[in-house]
Amino acid sequence: MPAIDEISEALVRDNIARAVRDVFKTMLNHDLTFDGADQPAAGAEPPALPRTRTFSVPQVVGNVGFIGDANGLVYLHLDETFAVLCTGRILGLNEEETRTIDEDAVNDAIGELTNMVVGGFKNGLCEAGYPCKLTIPSVLRGRDVHIESTSAAKRHAYRFNCDSHQLMADILVKVGD
Amino acid sequence: MPHKILTVDDSKTVRIIVRKAFKGYDCEISEATNGVEGLAAAKAHPNLILLDVTMPVMDGIEMLTKLKADPQTKGIPVIMLTAEGGRDNVLKIAKIGVRDYIVKPFKDEALLQKVGRVLELKQLAPPVSKVRTVLDAATILVVDDKPAIVHQIQDGLKHMPWKIHGAQTPAAALEFCAQRPPDLVIVSLGLPEEAAFQLFRAIRASQTGKSTPVFGLTVKIETLAQQKAKEAGFAIVITKPISMPELEQKMTKAMNLDTSPRYYIREGEVLVIRLPANCTPEDISEVRMHLKAQLTEAVDAGRSKVLIDIQALQALDIRGMRLLIDAMQFCREMGMRFATVATPQLIEESKGFEEARTWVVSPTIEDARASLDQAVPAQASEVGAK
Repeated sequence: MPAIDEISEALVRDNIARAVRDVFKTMLNHDLTFDGADQPAAGAEPPALPRTRTFSVPQVVGNVGFIGDANGLVYLHLDETFAVLCTGRILGLNEEETRTIDEDAVNDAIGELTNMVVGGFKNGLCEAGYPCKLTIPSVLRGRDVHIESTSAAKRHAYRFNCDSHQLMADILVKVGD
Repeated sequence: MPHKILTVDDSKTVRIIVRKAFKGYDCEISEATNGVEGLAAAKAHPNLILLDVTMPVMDGIEMLTKLKADPQTKGIPVIMLTAEGGRDNVLKIAKIGVRDYIVKPFKDEALLQKVGRVLELKQLAPPVSKVRTVLDAATILVVDDKPAIVHQIQDGLKHMPWKIHGAQTPAAALEFCAQRPPDLVIVSLGLPEEAAFQLFRAIRASQTGKSTPVFGLTVKIETLAQQKAKEAGFAIVITKPISMPELEQKMTKAMNLDTSPRYYIREGEVLVIRLPANCTPEDISEVRMHLKAQLTEAVDAGRSKVLIDIQALQALDIRGMRLLIDAMQFCREMGMRFATVATPQLIEESKGFEEARTWVVSPTIEDARASLDQAVPAQASEVGAK
């Protein structure tokens, strides 16, 4: 067990950056750039990440939890076009086949990509002394995403960029039950 | 006997990836979406199980525990394929009894390598697929740090249904190959630091590039580079300035494309043999090469008429004459009616050949078709010769 009861921001940041880039490079051959932490809402007191995010284009949001000595949830936001492209890529489809992918296939692929990302992320936590296990993925869709954390959980958000597409990892994490 | 591999994963995406990874191998893949289905499928005694951990209904650890507790199934080798890593987790699962452990994300190569340690994987012979023709689309990759060369090749081959992509660096080329394996690659041998040869080796080492034709591209005086490329295994070395007809012909041959649709057209009950514009001696050789097979196929398909269109010829030389003689001879032997159409200039030139003295050659397509449609005796059913 680690001596400290709070997971550092650096541990969260380094693990999620590595996990996202590793999964997208290995499974999709995409080189993602890490754009750093999302900025807290302007004027918020104390500074906090926005609870509701409203996107201009529909989003596909994969989410997977982890439970154990560290608990939490990771939401992976992809715009719908990028989600379809990633699905086509991971399934090895050509452009024409990719255009005809159905929603279920996209949900499954984004769920699995999120599962791999969160797996990589939480395996890093395990190695840092916070053993935990994954939960089953689920996928949300929509333009408005409202994320509210319990008081004990700390929230972090990080942005990644791939060509013209953005990907965001929104993380809620706390130590212990 | 193909190896039977059972993949147990709640993600359809992973099951598809696994299925595709073993596509070229002598393996039979069955699927289960959770531990309960997995245990049921294990009764069929697969040679190997690929098992995920986090699944609904029954997770992989419970399935593995039950599998190893059952004397009927405990001997089936299991490789974990899961995002659930971490040293403690891996050790705990390993103690239950697994052959290997693959942490997602994973590459096909890693999966094949680890499965290959348990099963003796045999590659299948390439499937007998429909013969590709010059009218089919193909993906070509040109790797050159000079965009002008890429544009020149794109422009010179724009009449072909091939999509020609450029990559300026070996890294960009390998990324392209990973995403969309090309049908043929042309690499500049002048890339810095012998990168062309490293790229060639990387293509050959990849799962999809083992038999992709790779052409080298260099200037004529770089004889050392040409020699080295041939020794390395490049299929062909093309020299600059590039002769586009020669490049097209070599690419067609390297991709093993059927060229006959370029010259043989089926129009109802008539098989049209048409020489292309700017007809080259190579074109005539190709037409002759396909002649017998095409006429046989036409007869088998119920066609009985042949229209030989040589209007595109610039001049009637000995090659053209040989083609006409062969075509007429085969038509006679197969009992097919035929008519020939040529420009007035070619008709005039044909008179200079002894063999053509008795020929009747129509000056227009319409005349030739009309003559084909005329009633004729069953045996001497030809319009091209008296």
